[in-house]
Amino acid sequence: MRLRRVLIPLFALALVATGCGSDDSEGGGDGGGGGGDNTGQVVLLSAVEPEEADAVQKIFDDLINDGADYTAEIEAAGNFEEQFQIRAEGGTLDLAAVPQPGAIAQLADDGKIVALEDLGFDIDELNSTFGESFVALGEHNGKHYGLPTNINLKSMVWYPKDDFDKAGYKVPKTWDELIALSDQIVADGSTPWCVGFESEGATGWPATDWMEDIMLRTAGPETYDKWVAHEIPFNDPAVKTAAERFGEILFTDKYVLGGAAATADIAFGDAPAPMFDTPPKCWLHRQASFINSFFPEDAEAGVDYDWFPLPPIDQDGTLYAGELTVVGSNRPEVVDFLEKFMGKDVQCEMGGVVLSSRISPNVEVGPDCYANKILADASVILTKALEEGTGRFDASDLMPPEVGSGSFWTGMIDYVKGGPSALDGVLDKIEASWPKS
Amino acid sequence: MSDGPETQAVPTTDPAPAGAARWARLLGAVAVVVGLPLLARWAYTFMKDGDANRFAVVGVAILLGVLGVFALFWLMDEIVDRLPHGWREGARPYVFVGPALVILSVFLIYPVVNTVILSFKDRSGDSWVGLDNYRFVFTDESMLRSLRNTGLWIVVVPAVALTIGLLFATLADRLQRGESLAKSLIFLPMAISFVGAAVTFRLIYSYRPAGFGTNIGVLNAIWQGLGNEPVPWLTEKPWNNLMLMVIMVWMQTGFAMVVLSSAIKAIPEEITEAARIDGATEWQVFRHITIPSILPTIVVVTTYMVINALKVFDIVFVMGSPENNGTEVVAERMLTWFFLRNNDGYGAAVAVVLFLAVIPVMVWNVRRFRAEEAIR
Repeated sequence: MRLRRVLIPLFALALVATGCGSDDSEGGGDGGGGGGDNTGQVVLLSAVEPEEADAVQKIFDDLINDGADYTAEIEAAGNFEEQFQIRAEGGTLDLAAVPQPGAIAQLADDGKIVALEDLGFDIDELNSTFGESFVALGEHNGKHYGLPTNINLKSMVWYPKDDFDKAGYKVPKTWDELIALSDQIVADGSTPWCVGFESEGATGWPATDWMEDIMLRTAGPETYDKWVAHEIPFNDPAVKTAAERFGEILFTDKYVLGGAAATADIAFGDAPAPMFDTPPKCWLHRQASFINSFFPEDAEAGVDYDWFPLPPIDQDGTLYAGELTVVGSNRPEVVDFLEKFMGKDVQCEMGGVVLSSRISPNVEVGPDCYANKILADASVILTKALEEGTGRFDASDLMPPEVGSGSFWTGMIDYVKGGPSALDGVLDKIEASWPKS
Repeated sequence: MSDGPETQAVPTTDPAPAGAARWARLLGAVAVVVGLPLLARWAYTFMKDGDANRFAVVGVAILLGVLGVFALFWLMDEIVDRLPHGWREGARPYVFVGPALVILSVFLIYPVVNTVILSFKDRSGDSWVGLDNYRFVFTDESMLRSLRNTGLWIVVVPAVALTIGLLFATLADRLQRGESLAKSLIFLPMAISFVGAAVTFRLIYSYRPAGFGTNIGVLNAIWQGLGNEPVPWLTEKPWNNLMLMVIMVWMQTGFAMVVLSSAIKAIPEEITEAARIDGATEWQVFRHITIPSILPTIVVVTTYMVINALKVFDIVFVMGSPENNGTEVVAERMLTWFFLRNNDGYGAAVAVVLFLAVIPVMVWNVRRFRAEEAIR
């Protein structure tokens, strides 16, 4: 009994001691520079597919981890949005490549993410490397929280090149030529456009891309920015004009394979398939740079298919989407990783990853970094747009989520199903859904 | 204690086992006291190691959990032993219930209270907004549809699954052979996760309009075989709601059947035989003997299904855009607003409504259970 009496407090003490002691058992490496100690590990949270993550990890291993005093890892999270929020709020986030910059403001307000200024980055330098409009997307209350690390081109119209050339069609340079081409295809007894908007819970997003692409060309980048920031209402005449242009493609008889109303039931990945029938059942498909991974496996880029930029309407424009990398923890190895990650060498290497179709927002990365001509051509257009400031980011990813991944998606589906007469009601409804305050 | 060494020298004599046991106990105690904290410390570093084998980490976590709980109870018991006599037996039950209560408050009571508080605040939980969030829950077009749909789910799914389950349980009871095989087949879908089932049914309901390849969905194949045009089952209002409910019925019928079947088998054969001898028809036996005998089981199964239907989210979420298809349900709205649209206020208000909706079902169930106990 006496023995026990000694043992119990000892046991309790031992538990407490180990509990407290374990904190300083790790790390303790070479600090210097940033706020915290080097923990030897940097995790980049990302929404990419696991196969793509493997390829990127290999680049990290070769170009960053080799010789560094830390290990950088990319983590492909299937439920990225939730994981990102949870980790940022819980303080366990190192870095995250965020495809929807709209999420940044709240986290910056709450002090959950670190400003690039506080990490020692020079914003002027970043502006010249990534273009001011892209860098500005990460800005909140005068500080910048996101660094562009990936970009993809949305303003692309794909066509079946071999059949297209054989039929004697020419790549249109203006919107009128595009409409004339569509009429020509109808006159030849075929259907010009393949359109599909179904994407499970996110059904409708390809339609919002269409709208944004047209809005950028009819209203111009300044009005586009106001639209995104809700400085003009969603039912503004400028928005209506763009939607009516969109309707010109959707609702003109025989323009869309299966008819406009059916597009809501066609999976966006299935949509381009009829283009590869012989003879093609449709000839034009507007979709972002990743869509060729949904094309038939034996279809060859530059032979069976190619693309042209969506032509200008009242002016030219370039719609893109991409990722801003945000930082959740100010540690020297995190900063070191980010500098290398955004740098020319790593970005160039990532352009060579065939299955990801990644394009670098770093304007110093030249077209010869890319795996194929499709990506290289797209990169040229994007680089030009970033340098000249004519490019704009996908609006729905910038709007508040109630709209950008809610009423805008569903509203577009109501529009394609309801036809031109539904437009006013749809725009009013989206406007009403915009969060107050 | 001083007699330890001597007795150990003569291990075969009678007092020896007592001495050896004592030593073993002492060694054991020392091992626990020194070993466990060391083990805990080692396990802590091991589990933090990103390169460690996943299974090994899980194994260590389980081991540590089990030993940790054991050590905790042992420690608490020892502390109680040290209390003054009068307090000891009074304190002991609380010591054993204590950890469970702590865990319950941390993981259940605290979140409930916090959710209720959040439901009166704005989207980021900063300022109070009064009843605005609840006004949204009961006026928003999409929310109202979700309330209506959830109402349908909790009526249709349990009713259909119970009816079919009862039918199968009764009929399978009469099978000469193959009863277990038949029941296994119906029970099988229970083993599939909701998301898995939903993905499977996406293929069954798959639809492609003319020109976009052949239809690969089984349902459209049958439908076309009957000479009809293919139908987009998942967007055809209002039937798409029923199409989604079919999935849950498919998954839960097996559960109802197995539970009801065992209840039916527990009915004493003398009663049914007596009824038959008295000239009761099969229907009368079923209506007046089988049903009343298994009523308690039916109640339990119904409760389980109603609660499951209230929680349904995965099926609706995987099967397309709920807002376009008019297939919103309350739990789906909660997740959409909380996680996808980052509106903590709306999400919390929906959660509170859902929470309140479950309470009557639970109360009814507990009352029912108590009444049963009273009869016995």
